[in-house]
Amino acid sequence: MSLPLVTAPFTGTTPAAPFLRFSTLWIQITGTWCNLECRHCINSSGPREPWLRPLRAEVALSAIREAEELGVKEIYFTGGEPFLHGDILTLLAAALEAAPTTVLTNGTRIDAAMADELAALAASAPYSLSIRVSLDDTDPERNDRVRGENAFAQAVEAIRLLHDRGLLPIVTATEITSAEHADGRSTYERFRDFLLARGIEKPRVKIMPVFTLGRLARPGDPVLCEEDLAGFDRRTLQCAESRVVADGGVYACPILAGLPGARLSDGGLEASFRAAALYHPSCVTCFRTGMTCANG
Amino acid sequence: MRERLAEYRRIAVFGGVYNNALALHALLEDARRRDVEAIFCLGDMGGFGPHPDRVFPLLEDGGILALQGNYDESLAQGKTDCGCGYTDPRDNYFARISYEYTFARTSSENKAWLGSLPGHRRVRLGSHRVLMCHGSPRVINEFLWESATPNGLLRRFLREAAADVLLCTHTGIKWHRPLATGQHAVNVGVIGRPENDGSTNVWYTILTATLDVSVEFMPLHYDFETLARQMDQEGLPPEFSETVRTGWWTTCLENLPSRERSRGKF
Repeated sequence: MSLPLVTAPFTGTTPAAPFLRFSTLWIQITGTWCNLECRHCINSSGPREPWLRPLRAEVALSAIREAEELGVKEIYFTGGEPFLHGDILTLLAAALEAAPTTVLTNGTRIDAAMADELAALAASAPYSLSIRVSLDDTDPERNDRVRGENAFAQAVEAIRLLHDRGLLPIVTATEITSAEHADGRSTYERFRDFLLARGIEKPRVKIMPVFTLGRLARPGDPVLCEEDLAGFDRRTLQCAESRVVADGGVYACPILAGLPGARLSDGGLEASFRAAALYHPSCVTCFRTGMTCANG
Repeated sequence: MRERLAEYRRIAVFGGVYNNALALHALLEDARRRDVEAIFCLGDMGGFGPHPDRVFPLLEDGGILALQGNYDESLAQGKTDCGCGYTDPRDNYFARISYEYTFARTSSENKAWLGSLPGHRRVRLGSHRVLMCHGSPRVINEFLWESATPNGLLRRFLREAAADVLLCTHTGIKWHRPLATGQHAVNVGVIGRPENDGSTNVWYTILTATLDVSVEFMPLHYDFETLARQMDQEGLPPEFSETVRTGWWTTCLENLPSRERSRGKF
């Protein structure tokens, strides 16, 4: 399978974000291996031949240990679908010994038994465990058009199972179908009302912008130049304080994990603490929206 | 050369006044009865409550040693928002109401005073070196929640600051973490609103030098009914006075970590 991604070369005029401090460790635990194949997926994850391979457990554990030594503030697991990884519970337990930990999931692998395991983990850990479940619309048909057949029902069931065990899942949604709604409510309000109507009395909703990469990448998507960034505080970009461990090394941000242009070291975290090139069209989205992949 | 720092045996420390002059008045009386040598405020004088300018004479008359919080920084610099660091739309909706109310009713003299406050303070408590900040030592509006602040990060902060005790506030919920190294990290809580546990009292902290450091969280009761009535009379959102009357947070709670959020009502 070819890499369906823009990999513009780094040049001397490409702007860069300084490395400010190490706050957030991302672990791209399953690479681009996923049981769904969403049409807006930022890294073109899917069930067949992942272009970015899952991480071995030892690599993830080593990154967690190094991150703890370096004073990391929070840890995130993403993919692909993290719950496809055979060692995910062991790795979550290890991460939770070091820092508060969040998993980004499509929810399809969370059944009652897994929800019980996660609740037990959350209860015994020194720090908070957060589960972020992805949805794209509160309407099943619209959602599944983006995420695949039956994805809505499975994710909503996962949200219920987690909620019933006190885990307070965070629903993460994009605005990919928001133009199809004419009721005047924002995507945030629509999801909040949706959860409240289902008895989720502490609704948690995070809205993410749609990125022009992965399956939505188009030739000629704009990239940043120095002039665009005049007067802009680059230290506010998430790559100024996060790093991602994925197959092949350490990368600048979770959006660009696995891309050669975003690779900052071959393995060690501390070696990646240097400026990151803002070379990719998705950097335009972070610059314009001020978004972060973190919980808040 | 060893830094010359003011040295104390017993101090009171609080944060987050949030315009709550009634609680501040109660604190001054309570702390004086408990033989503290000095009282420190870790910032955020405004927001949430009514009549911002009533707080400042109490701070001055009480000889409070204050530092600057993000709210104070925003008011002093004429910023358009409180800089609390919220990312959630509902949090930001209520934060804006609160900030605009406070900004319009804080005198320019008091704003200038807020602008003169230091970002950090260092003192000695017996032989222990204490660093005081608002959010974290590195970022004025960084949230250090109990369930979301790793020991590794606290060790890093203390190492970088050459301190034995770290005191912070900003989140609104107190906690104390003794580290295996013998160091301490304490979120001293806030006196401006209750801490989302269904009780109407607020909290401050007394630290006493012993061979180690003794950390006592002090419940503070005040006339919350009068405060809530004043808030209603000022036209502040009923969600705010509901928090004062019930002890449950109704707003600005979307960025609570899972564990702290699960303990609340909303």
